[in-house]
Amino acid sequence: MVKKLNCREVGLRLQSYLDGELDDARIEQIRAHLDDCVACGLEADAFVKIKKDLTAQAVPSDSQALARLRQFSSQIAANAATE
Amino acid sequence: MPDSITTQPVGQDARFQEYVVPEIDVMYRVAYSITRNKADAEDLVQDTMMRAYRAIERFDGKYPRAWLLTIMRNAQVNRVRRKRPELMHDPDETMGRVADESAEGADAESQLMDKEFEAPIESALAALPEKFLSVVELVDLNQLSYQEAADALGIPVGTVMSRLHRARRNIRTHLEAFEDEV
Repeated sequence: MVKKLNCREVGLRLQSYLDGELDDARIEQIRAHLDDCVACGLEADAFVKIKKDLTAQAVPSDSQALARLRQFSSQIAANAATE
Repeated sequence: MPDSITTQPVGQDARFQEYVVPEIDVMYRVAYSITRNKADAEDLVQDTMMRAYRAIERFDGKYPRAWLLTIMRNAQVNRVRRKRPELMHDPDETMGRVADESAEGADAESQLMDKEFEAPIESALAALPEKFLSVVELVDLNQLSYQEAADALGIPVGTVMSRLHRARRNIRTHLEAFEDEV
């Protein structure tokens, strides 16, 4: 039997839940509460949307900079071998 | 420029390839979040890789990303110290101030134009205080864990959590205010 959490307890852990920072038992408790509680469910939905919008703001890495850095990484070993 | 490398034992290269090279993309994105400048970010990653190469014999192989982000933070603190020794009382504050100063160069008119056309989520991000923005960038945009963000910024995990949660509440308030205007 999973211990039930109240709205306050869920509110304290909601962000960590959305970020995948909780263990399986805690996730189960929060899911059970969100399934039953309309207010907390709406709160979770609002932050899920914000997180999704934020994730979409990620800028792709500069491919040229990455290519130079990979080149640099291979030079490190080469330089060390000659010293 | 990073310090010169001393001769390393055999096996060093294999460990470097295994633990460091796969993290170059993440290191660059985190470095950009910290420095807010492409050239400085690239330089910081190079510095981090040099330090990692020298230290890799002592690395236990656990959590390479966390290890590299800690090296990166220390490298950045040293870089800032060399440039601005008077700012080193609070490294966290220093990183924010350096980032703020990088942003000061932007032309006021173009900033105004950008604001006219940016999406609500972008303006909500732009309105965040620097120390909140850094955490949002690391966790939400770059998908780091709380612990990894804490390592990158040199702050406790609890501080990452509280800043992140406050930042999201600020963003929510900003978005709701925007919807009310429309």
